[in-house]
This record gives sequence, structure tokens and C-alpha cells, in this order.
Amino acid sequence: MATITPKNIAEAIYNATKDKSGRELEESLRGSVRVLWQKRMIGKSDDILKELQNIFERKEGVVRVKVTTAAKMEEGVRKKLEWELKEKHKARALLSEFFEERDVLGGMRVEVGDEVTDATYRNRLRQLEKFLMQEK
Amino acid sequence: MSNQIVENLRKEIEAFKAEVKTEKVGKVMEVFDGIAKVSGLSDIRSGEMVTFQNGERGVALNLEEDAVGVIILGDFSKIKEGDEVKATGRILEISVSNNILGRVVNAIGVPIDGKGAISAQGGSASGGKSSIEYYPIEKVAPGVITRESVGEPVATGIKAIDAIIPIGRGQRELLIGDRQTGKTAIAIDAILNQKGQNMICVYVSIGQKDSKLRKLQARLEAGNSMEYTVIVSAGASEAAALSYIAPYTGVSIAEFFMDQGKDVLIIYDDLSKHAVAYREISLLLRRPPGREAYPGDVFYLHSRLLERACRRNAKYGGGSITALPIIETQAGDISAYIPTNVISITDGQIFLETDLFYKGVRPAVNVGSSVSRVGSSAQIKAMKKVAGTLKLDLAQFRELEAFSQFGSDLDDATKRQLERGKRAVEVLKQTQYAPVKTEHQVVTLYALTKGYMDDVPVNKIKEFESGLIDYTERNAKTFYKEVIESKMWTDKGEEQLKKAIADFKSSFIK
Repeated sequence: MATITPKNIAEAIYNATKDKSGRELEESLRGSVRVLWQKRMIGKSDDILKELQNIFERKEGVVRVKVTTAAKMEEGVRKKLEWELKEKHKARALLSEFFEERDVLGGMRVEVGDEVTDATYRNRLRQLEKFLMQEK
Repeated sequence: MSNQIVENLRKEIEAFKAEVKTEKVGKVMEVFDGIAKVSGLSDIRSGEMVTFQNGERGVALNLEEDAVGVIILGDFSKIKEGDEVKATGRILEISVSNNILGRVVNAIGVPIDGKGAISAQGGSASGGKSSIEYYPIEKVAPGVITRESVGEPVATGIKAIDAIIPIGRGQRELLIGDRQTGKTAIAIDAILNQKGQNMICVYVSIGQKDSKLRKLQARLEAGNSMEYTVIVSAGASEAAALSYIAPYTGVSIAEFFMDQGKDVLIIYDDLSKHAVAYREISLLLRRPPGREAYPGDVFYLHSRLLERACRRNAKYGGGSITALPIIETQAGDISAYIPTNVISITDGQIFLETDLFYKGVRPAVNVGSSVSRVGSSAQIKAMKKVAGTLKLDLAQFRELEAFSQFGSDLDDATKRQLERGKRAVEVLKQTQYAPVKTEHQVVTLYALTKGYMDDVPVNKIKEFESGLIDYTERNAKTFYKEVIESKMWTDKGEEQLKKAIADFKSSFIK
């Protein structure tokens, strides 16, 4: 028999609680915890919650973005970038995180899921290094 | 001087154009024994090449729901959890050019013989393409429309093989036997005998000791055979992933030459170790084990590799790949899983036996268990004429030999057959690294099958054979000319040969 993964549990919880509220939602959640207890999977609750969050975001059209720059980005530029990314990924909502990292030297790196657009100076220098080292 | 360097660098930097592109990037979740589990890489294909943050390459093999199982083609100790992994969008490929001839390369086509990189310039002495090309290591085998039936021989220079179990260009003939029975020796002899035969050779060493490989390379260099040979090596100390891909790299190199219309002989030494390496990878990737713990697709592993050996018809550029896979058996058990698989895939097998080897019959070919399903149509007419009944004679001899041990009263016909058999075994014995030319084989076998050797003492057969070849070369020139140039067998040539053999024999017996 195939093993039950945290993702399987998360999907089941999502389907059981979808479109429910109040007492009904409370009952479903209580049932979910009981099943986890019976299946001895309480220890995996962190992974299950993470998967549940992923499922929720996917279903609700939420896109997570991670932006890394060398210096702090101005508020106006941030807003513009968020708007552009929301349009590009056709997202209903955008959850963005901004990081400052001096090592990138300049430019920016945008990560959306496993898609990465690296326009940092560090990456350009790496490309230049590769270009100069290749045999001609 | 320094100004010149700066100026050159400035020019190169000006020519450089940085491009910003969106890439699929994954993260290493865990690394163990040459395998990495990677998250992300959602659009990756099976067999696609990936690059790790430290420059190492890998191949995506297991596409799971949330992770990708990657085999690492290099040093996995420098890859750590959290490292970035980039998909390249390309199936694993190797660079090949005509200058790869004479070189020893590793499983990913990188030279390891200390002679520097394989350059694009110059081309080879045999002409053809001189630029570097990229060949994917996994490729679908040529279709049925592009193929032609086997019709031209591969002369191995080994009498027992060329006469009884002939191999044709485009054939897949398995060399099977226990350890230390001379499987590699046959392969090396076959390579040595390709000199001047318009054949490129690729030797793929899988999981072999480096010392054995070095010895083999030295032997080929001594015989001036490296000039038409490429060695692909995945040593015993290297990761299983490299042993797994080495045969595919070898056949890609062979395809590069076949695409130029050339004939290629490829030797996989050996596919038992290849299967073991694949089993190791599969178990680490948590694929379900089957018989002998091999994964379910171990048959496909070898069938897709050996199916790439073929003979293409002239419309599709000609050329051929002849494959000689080697399988090592345990205690002569050819009914084990991998041997039976490869026997069913190939067009015949040459079975080498330990008992024969220790009896001094070398090459230790068991004629009864060996077979060539398509090679006989590739035999030249002269060889067909002289070796037609040899296999049957030898099989009968083996049977009679066992039977004669029970009683001493044998009729004359049986005694004659036994004596002929003893001489046939003696004639088929051959020392290592001494391949015999086809025309010489024809002369010896003619003398044997026509009974000229029947009254020569068994211990003088070798002496008789070498003397006969010397004598006929001088006195049966028309015969040799016909066999070498037109591969024909005429009554006139036969008469000349008969006379030469009779003359030599009368002087030898005296």
C-alpha cells in the first residue's frame, strides 16, 4: 500500500473544510485532528500545515514572490514591481517579501515559486567569468 | 606586453553580452551516495541535464510529485543541502569530433588521458567532419526503414569465431562466460585485427580496474590500434552514475562516426557491471526492486542500448555499428537474470567455458552453446565453403569423445572422426594478440576439412599450419588474390591451393 504523505492529508483537510464556516468548520477541523491522532501523524503537523497553505494559495490564486536587492528599494518602485508581477502571473493576490543582500552588488533577483529571474550584477559577473574562461 | 593583454581583455569584454533570462531553479533537499533529491524544477524532463551551484552536472532520472531524483555525474561530496540546481533544457549530451580517435575519455566524454582537450581543428586522417558536434547520449534507435540486413563480415581474426560463429557488420554478438575465460582478450584481438579493415573501434570500460584499462590501452598502442580506437572509461572507483551512462556515451560516439557512413565496432566491457550500477542507482532512488533486486526496467536498459547497433542502408548514409557486449556469469550459470536478458536481445552469443580454458583450449569457445543468428550471411564465399561443416564436426567430436571413454572397441569411421576432431580443436587454438588473416584461416581450414592434416601428429599441427601458410603464400598466389580481392572461390584457385597443400605436406611429412 502506498504511504500517506503530508500532502495527501492536507488535500483531504482542504476538501473537508472547503466552503464551511462556524460550527460546521469547527467539527471538520476537530475530525481532522482526530484522524491525525489515530494515524499517529500529529508529529507531521508542521509539514501538513505548510502543504495546506500551499494548496490554499494555489486554489485562491495567491502568488508568493521573493525579491532580493543590494540596497533597500524605494516604496514607489516596490509598488510598481508588485503590480507588474501580479499582472504577469495573473495572480488574485501577491505576497511579496523583500530582502537586502550586499553580495548581489546591484540589480535584483526575483523568485516566483521555482522560477528565478536573476538580473543582479553578481550574476552578470559570473556570466562574464564563464564567457572569458570558455575556449574560443 | 601588459597593454596588449589589457587591450585583448577589453575587446573580449566589449563582445560580451549579458542576458537576463528566467530559469527554473530548484533546491537540493538531500544528497546521498551520488544521488540528490531536488525540490522545484517543475517543468523538467526525464533525462534532462541539470547544473549544480558548484558547476557539477547531473541528470534528472526520477520525476516525483514534489521532488526530482538527480544522479550526480561527478564529486557529490561538494554538493550540500540548499544549493541551487538549474535545469538546462537539454538532454544529457557529449561533445564529439573526429579528433576523439586515439583518446581515452570518461563517461561524459571528457578526455582523461592527459593529452588536453579534444580540439575542433584538423579533422582526422580519414577525412570527414572536423568540427565539434554535440550528441545526446539517449537517442531512439534507427527505424526499420533506415536499416539493411547484415551482409558484410567483421573479421575478428579469431579462427573459432570467423569460421564457426561469424559476426556481420551491424550485428550484436554477446561474449559470455565466467571470470578469467578470455572475454576481454577476444575483444582486444578483434580490435587489433581491424587495422586496415576500414573500421572505427569504441571500447567502453564499465567498472573495470584502472590498471586493467591502462594495460589494455598500452596493448592497443603497441599494435598501432589506438589510431582508430576510442576508449570510454567509467572506472571501479567512480560513482555508479558514471558506470550507468558510459555505454550510452560510447554508442553516441559510435553514432557520430556511423553518421559519416563509417563502420564502427563497439565493445561494452561489461554489461553485468552496468546492470549492477543501475540497480544501485535504482535502489537509492527508491524504485521498487524486482528479481535479484534489479528494477523492472533492467531489460529496457540493455535493449534500448543494443538496439542502437544497426546497419543503415545507403539511402540513409550507410555505416554500421557492430556491438560486442560482454556478460560475466557466475559459475557458468547462463540462466541468471541479466545473461538471459542480454542473450534474448542479441543476435547470438559466444560462450566461453572455464573447463575448456584450463584444458588449454584457448580461446575457450564452447562451439555447441555458441551461435550467430545472422552472421553466416555475412561470411565470405571462400570461408563458407571451407567452414560449412566444421561446427557439426566439432559437435559430433565432443559427443564421440565422451562416448569413447566407455569402451575401446571403436569402428574405423568413429576413430577417423575422433582423430579429425582432435586436429580441429588444435587448429582452432590461438594465442592471445595474434589474430589470423581471413585468407590464412581459409587455407588452414581447407587443409583440415579436406583431410590433409589427418596423418599429421596432433602435436605438430601448429608447426604444420604456420609452414603451410608460408608455403601457400609463395606458391598459390592466384588463390590468395581471388580470396583477398574478389572474395571469390573458383575451381582454378582451388586446384592451385590443393596442389600447394599436397606439395607442402609431402615435404613436411618427410
